[in-house]
Amino acid sequence: MTQSTQHQFTSDVLTNYPLNLALLDEVFNKEGKVNTHYTKVLDQFSCYSVEDFKELNEHAKLSFFNQGVTFAVYSDKSKGVERIFPFDLFPRIIPAAEWQRLEEGIIQRNMAINWFIHDIYHEKLILKDGVVPAELIFSSKHYTKAMLGMKPVGNIYNHISGTDLIKHSDGQYYVLEDNVRTPSGVSYVLSNREAMKKTLSGLFRKYNIRSVQDYPQHLLSMMQSVAPESADNPNCVVLTPGMYNSAYYEHSFLAHNMGIPLVEGRDLFVDKNFVYMKTIYGPKRVDVIYRRIDDDFIDPLVFRPDSVLGIPGIMAAYREGNVTLINAPGTGAADDKAVYSYVPAIIKYYLNEEPILNNVHTYRCELETDYKYVMEHMEELVIKPVDESGGYGILIGSRSTKEERDEFKRIITANRRKYIAQPVMSLSVHATFIEEENVFEPRHIDLRTYALLGKDKQFVLKGGLSRVALRKGSLIVNSSQGGGSKDTWVLEE
Amino acid sequence: MLSRIGNSLFWLGRYIERAEHIARYTKVQYVSSLDAPYAQGREFVLESILDMIGISYQYYASYSQLTDEDVLFFVTLDENNPLSIHSTIGYIRENARGARDSISLELWEAINRFYHSMNNYTVVKLHNEGIHEFSQKVEENSSVLKGCIDNTLMRNEAWMLICLGIHMERAIQVARILITKVKDIEKIDPAKLGGPVENYQWTTLLKGAESFDMNKRHYKANPNRRNSLEFLMFNQAFPKSIAYNLDVVHKNIQQIAFHDEKGSNSLDFMAGKLAGQFKYTTIEETEKQVTEFLTSTLDKINQMANKLLEKHLIY
Repeated sequence: MTQSTQHQFTSDVLTNYPLNLALLDEVFNKEGKVNTHYTKVLDQFSCYSVEDFKELNEHAKLSFFNQGVTFAVYSDKSKGVERIFPFDLFPRIIPAAEWQRLEEGIIQRNMAINWFIHDIYHEKLILKDGVVPAELIFSSKHYTKAMLGMKPVGNIYNHISGTDLIKHSDGQYYVLEDNVRTPSGVSYVLSNREAMKKTLSGLFRKYNIRSVQDYPQHLLSMMQSVAPESADNPNCVVLTPGMYNSAYYEHSFLAHNMGIPLVEGRDLFVDKNFVYMKTIYGPKRVDVIYRRIDDDFIDPLVFRPDSVLGIPGIMAAYREGNVTLINAPGTGAADDKAVYSYVPAIIKYYLNEEPILNNVHTYRCELETDYKYVMEHMEELVIKPVDESGGYGILIGSRSTKEERDEFKRIITANRRKYIAQPVMSLSVHATFIEEENVFEPRHIDLRTYALLGKDKQFVLKGGLSRVALRKGSLIVNSSQGGGSKDTWVLEE
Repeated sequence: MLSRIGNSLFWLGRYIERAEHIARYTKVQYVSSLDAPYAQGREFVLESILDMIGISYQYYASYSQLTDEDVLFFVTLDENNPLSIHSTIGYIRENARGARDSISLELWEAINRFYHSMNNYTVVKLHNEGIHEFSQKVEENSSVLKGCIDNTLMRNEAWMLICLGIHMERAIQVARILITKVKDIEKIDPAKLGGPVENYQWTTLLKGAESFDMNKRHYKANPNRRNSLEFLMFNQAFPKSIAYNLDVVHKNIQQIAFHDEKGSNSLDFMAGKLAGQFKYTTIEETEKQVTEFLTSTLDKINQMANKLLEKHLIY
């Protein structure tokens, strides 16, 4: 990581790269030299003129259109506005040793979270031992009574996890969020790789890059591993809310690549506690459902009665062990941002191991001392509601006005359980092609990883989605807030 | 195959065929009326178009008078008319999208191109280029779609369900055309029938079903009531005839091999009986009461379609 080489730029797009020494740059070290694992990329890019680069960029975008990788915004039944998720040609590279450690950390963390979910719906030992306050769990809106005493196949709850990581200015990775409900975005990882291979094939020859294309196979074998024992040749399906859902492309992509049916709630029904899909030849039993519908909507008999997306009676079939739901309902009680702060303790409690990945220090406003600290140091902190996602409802102290802070103090005091605070983390930056200006500039990035837990098997996708905050200086990488993405290359030894 | 996907494929076929027939019928009726031998009122032709599509009632709900511009717009581009060609092409795309994983990229792209070209078609363009040009585009696109269906799809349930939709809809549309034209002719003053006036009506009927040329070659005679009706109803070798299409419908139903109940209530029985009726009936037996015969045929086809939709394609 510290090794680097002096670089001579001949390309216009890189000559005036505005290196900011206050930030950790993934590509350049503090002396402005290129980190060794990036030299071959820089060598190649240096051969390109601005025009070449623009052309490559357009070429890559076209690949997305042709693959149909688009976000759809529908105004009426027949007319859709389709746009592509902004994509950057400069790959993010992670050296083998660095990745190895990350992968171990991701598995460790998600295994511990799995034990934790099991525990809070069974013996509740961790709560009885006072390691995690019981009140914190029972007050979570995602804590699901219908899961009490429920034992899913293989004892797996968070089959698919999307752990979000950042690299801080100290050079260490920190976990920002454990997404253990229905993490999305993996189709972009695979499509980004396709676009990159078509656009920069020469560069791939110079590196040994781990493949990401085997993700659908691993996903399917994970699904099969947790099928009910009564199913000989398990019928696995992907359940989507429908073609007007913004992530429909991903649902259809995954089903298509696994070669399994993509179903909607209206395609399924429950009879005598078994789930069936309606086919042109009559009902066919369904054994494993990768559902991309939130808990609230999955069964109108148990959760929201007004849901038209779900399948009445599916929870009863699930509790009978006649169908497997992926992920299990009620996992959300473990990815609440207040529970997040206990994950290091959760790892020690169940695995008796030191956490491999760092947690960002978190102040829990419900604790008296933390609450006081937050009230007094608001300018230095980021305040987050515990149960929102997508970057909504956040206050960044250093960029707020006094009025905004006073307003937040009032709402935190009114509902202390709902808020946590963290020091401002400095996300690393990465050179990114800025279309409007035709130059590379540093932009903040994070890393969404994808881990699978099956019956006696664990898998982490060798790569992930490096999300880019495209707006200059912005720290928010979510696609709903103007984020883009990069292909992420994990190197072989 | 999921019933929902099957449903989309069946309707995909039906809407492709429906758009084509509506476009062609409208074009032929309207354009040939421009120099018709019998000085019919324009209204006669416009009403014939609305009747064939079955949208007279809807038309008068939106417009107080029968004018060329209004009728042609209502039939072709009016987004507020759920049975307009524009709306029908929207349904083609919606159904194709719903069954995207069961059809080929080639077919999907052809449907998209068709959809976008129609979406960009303005009233001004329709006015400037005329109905002939518009319908020609729809017919050509329809041929392209059917080419993709025949040349790029596997011969599996997906293909069979699309074909089932196409041929069932074609039998329906041809029956509707026949009923409409026979009624049109009955409206004409009997003193004026015979000769060029009647000849003109049978010619437009045949052209409206894209059958004029083949009819002439087959009978080597001018079109008349008997040969026109016989050709479009009973000719087993002609792909527009009701007999031909009902036979294909029956074969498709047998090939898909729905797990059906047995006996006279089954889909196979219904389709086979109807196809057999057309195979073993002569024009002489039916020509006296041809509209009644065709109306009852339409009822039977609809019963069969409902059975299919409610039993196998429901979700």
